[in-house]
Amino acid sequence: MKKMKLTRIVASLGIAISALVLPARAETEKLSVIATFSIIGDFARVVGGDLIELRTLVGPNSDAHVYEPKPADAIALARADVILVNGLMFEGFLQRLVEASGTSAAIATLTDGANVVHDPDGGHYHYVNGEAIFHEAPNDPHAWQSVSNAKVYVENIAGAFCSSDAEGCSTYEANAAAYLDELSALDTEIRQAIADVPEGRRVAVVAHNAFRYFERDYGVIFLAPQGVSTESEASAADVASLIREIREKRAAAVFAENISDARLVEQIASEAGLALGGTLYSDALSPAGGPAATYVDLMRHNLAILTAALTAD
Amino acid sequence: MLRQLAYTTGLALILSGSALAQEEAHNDEDVTLYRVFVGDHAAPRITAFDLETPDNRWTFETIGQNKLYGVNDGAAVVAVQSDNDAVHFFNSGISLHSHGDHSDIEIADPAAVKETLTGPRPFHVIDHGGKVVINFDKGGYAEIIDAHELSHGELESKRLPQARAHHGFVAPIGDAWVTSVTSDAPVEGDAAPKRIGLQPVNEDGTPAGDVATCTAIHGEAFSGAYLATGCQEGVLTVMAGKDGLVTEMLEYPAELPSGQSTGTLIGSKSMQVFLGNYGAKGLVVVDPVDEPHFRYVELPFRRVDFALDPANARFGYVLTEDGTLHQVDVLDAKVAKSAKVTEPYSMDGHWNDPRPRLAMAGDEIVMSDPKAGVVRRISKEQLEEVGSIEVEGMPYNVAVVGGSGKVHEGHGESGHAHSHDHGEDQVYKGYFEDSQIKDRALSDWEGDWQSVYPYLQDGTLDRVMDHKAEEGDQTAEEYKTYYEIGYRTDVDRIEIQGDTVKLLTDGKPLEARYASDGYEILTYKKGNRGVRFIFKKTEGDDAAPQYIQFSDHKIAPEAADHYHLYWGDDRSALLEEVTNWPTYYPSSMGKEEIVREMMAH
Repeated sequence: MKKMKLTRIVASLGIAISALVLPARAETEKLSVIATFSIIGDFARVVGGDLIELRTLVGPNSDAHVYEPKPADAIALARADVILVNGLMFEGFLQRLVEASGTSAAIATLTDGANVVHDPDGGHYHYVNGEAIFHEAPNDPHAWQSVSNAKVYVENIAGAFCSSDAEGCSTYEANAAAYLDELSALDTEIRQAIADVPEGRRVAVVAHNAFRYFERDYGVIFLAPQGVSTESEASAADVASLIREIREKRAAAVFAENISDARLVEQIASEAGLALGGTLYSDALSPAGGPAATYVDLMRHNLAILTAALTAD
Repeated sequence: MLRQLAYTTGLALILSGSALAQEEAHNDEDVTLYRVFVGDHAAPRITAFDLETPDNRWTFETIGQNKLYGVNDGAAVVAVQSDNDAVHFFNSGISLHSHGDHSDIEIADPAAVKETLTGPRPFHVIDHGGKVVINFDKGGYAEIIDAHELSHGELESKRLPQARAHHGFVAPIGDAWVTSVTSDAPVEGDAAPKRIGLQPVNEDGTPAGDVATCTAIHGEAFSGAYLATGCQEGVLTVMAGKDGLVTEMLEYPAELPSGQSTGTLIGSKSMQVFLGNYGAKGLVVVDPVDEPHFRYVELPFRRVDFALDPANARFGYVLTEDGTLHQVDVLDAKVAKSAKVTEPYSMDGHWNDPRPRLAMAGDEIVMSDPKAGVVRRISKEQLEEVGSIEVEGMPYNVAVVGGSGKVHEGHGESGHAHSHDHGEDQVYKGYFEDSQIKDRALSDWEGDWQSVYPYLQDGTLDRVMDHKAEEGDQTAEEYKTYYEIGYRTDVDRIEIQGDTVKLLTDGKPLEARYASDGYEILTYKKGNRGVRFIFKKTEGDDAAPQYIQFSDHKIAPEAADHYHLYWGDDRSALLEEVTNWPTYYPSSMGKEEIVREMMAH
């Protein structure tokens, strides 16, 4: 089956690329997998184990929304068997990269079948070097912040691996099944921990509104500014309206995020008279050895940071 | 072209099923249009035509030979006349607005912008970050033009002075600026000062950092996060970091032919990579991040011109002096295929002798062929000529603008298209001739609409008011008071279907059928005018108004993107109402979209 796939790649990409593909394929019989960003890279690692060779495009602590794809990424896509993507317009760079690579790999959209939140604002803001950048997306793409959606991602990954590598399928399914149990336990753990936070205190403030799914599933409300830039004076009014909302809803703490610089939330915290509650991991894992090097660690870390800050006096 | 569209749709399906479902709900037409601007080699003339229908053709007179640049995503074209100390600007007539999963395209005739720039020897043009920057090589400054204003037909420019006049450039990077700099050693007569490097500067030209060495600096391009510029010792890259600019000299490796350098660079729009020249017979693929930073592509003959495909980052195209066009695989750094496309054009002689120039247009390469008096259309796939278009004189420099997008003909959901065309802009502002006004049917306003008054009340529109205050003569508070009276209404939603209009207050409907009752022209205090399109009730709820009057800045049949509605039982009394104008946007638009739409006007 792999031989056929190889023929197809060669036919579609021409001799130039086959020179790159052949030695790599001869070295390893592993399924070549691309994950677009670190969180689904972690899912792929768990499900694929030793049977896959994994490359993650947008690495730890990096913001996929402002990622600039490199030639090496296109070459990797051209060689891949399976490409795992979030979808919901999360990876804005992907279409042009797929096109440049001419890849014939199977592209699996992991949010297919997930319980998706429509974004009433038609998008959300990212903060990069003090600038607000609007990310237009009719549906909220940060679906992994719901553990039940994460389970859908994992099932979709197992399905994609099985379609491309029937021999390894039983292994993928067994790995996925064990992991799904772990995720179910994680979901319960989060629900219990949030239940212990007094109801009136379940309001947090973040810069980049990436936590709507967490809000929907676990009942912590997240407030976020809209389009505020740390350097624009015009944003004073927007910060003011956020501060009003913070007071009305009695938000308990302001949180920084691993993919953004903290200047904006520091400003909000000081104006609202709130403490900075720590750093939440939103769209990316931490590097290995950090507090959120896997998805499960990421959710546990966020939970610990949130519950500690929201219950503090 | 068909294939490309099908492919795009296929990918949308893969990436987001829901996005596709939304697409299907639209009733919009996909349109692809490329418009070619060609400057004559000798005559001070630009010819513009549509690639598929070259009979759609326009001619513009300038004062010198034109080097052409499409800027601001092709919304405008800049014509630099170095030898005649002038720069002219054109509204291309095509504007594309990206909405993430699709683009909207708007098409009008190209038009010359009235204002021009003059100054000593304008040369390099940079189009980046909403700015168009033109270096005046003998003036010792660069003019910085606001790209958005330019696409509205207005020339708003600021001057950034340089320490010494030279053939160089000024470029924006993030919030910062850089300029090429020269040595301050005196020169004899007309000799040019030595160019030595690149320096961060403030917008007033004062130094903001140290000079990064880049001997004989020439040629610059942006790709991804980087600016790259050619130097004798290598390619210098610059990016905006957290704590200011980060520069890095990528030195030419030993494998490259020695004694040569890069002096022209093109940045890819879809992948972080540059294609540069290297010596007379080579190209280099420059990767600013990964090693090897340079990969050399040797060509069989000297290079005439080269281009990078903005649609597919994988390929560049280069014409060599034997008349052969080569497709260069950027990932592989090799010539992938070659085909003869014209007669030989020797590179002996002056750099500005008439020779072909290349530009990309979707699935085709557009190549001027000055000696043949034509512009050739060559397919990317086969490198075969698919057509040629005669152009008077010696067609030389080319710029292509345009692309694919949706032309909105539906209502409601798709109502966020707006026009930036100069003529329509004038109409929008209320300046038009009576003869331009045409009757309109109720279907222009068909759809599901929401009042924006709640957004004014809840503070969502505060940013719009701040924006108005920045541009206008009142404070944000004053604007808010004005709009508070303007937008005030308790009708929070309106549904218009066929001839039936439903006004909803807190979910309670008033429903009636209406028929056209003509229009009335109003003249406002400021001297501008507006047209009310009036509809009279034919049957329905007693409490439903006898008359409804639409005002949407349009004066002829066209789907509304938003509108102001006046209603009541006295037709003429309503015409007197000019302070309260309840305003409606498509219900499908989110708050943020409305804010951005309002700020765009």
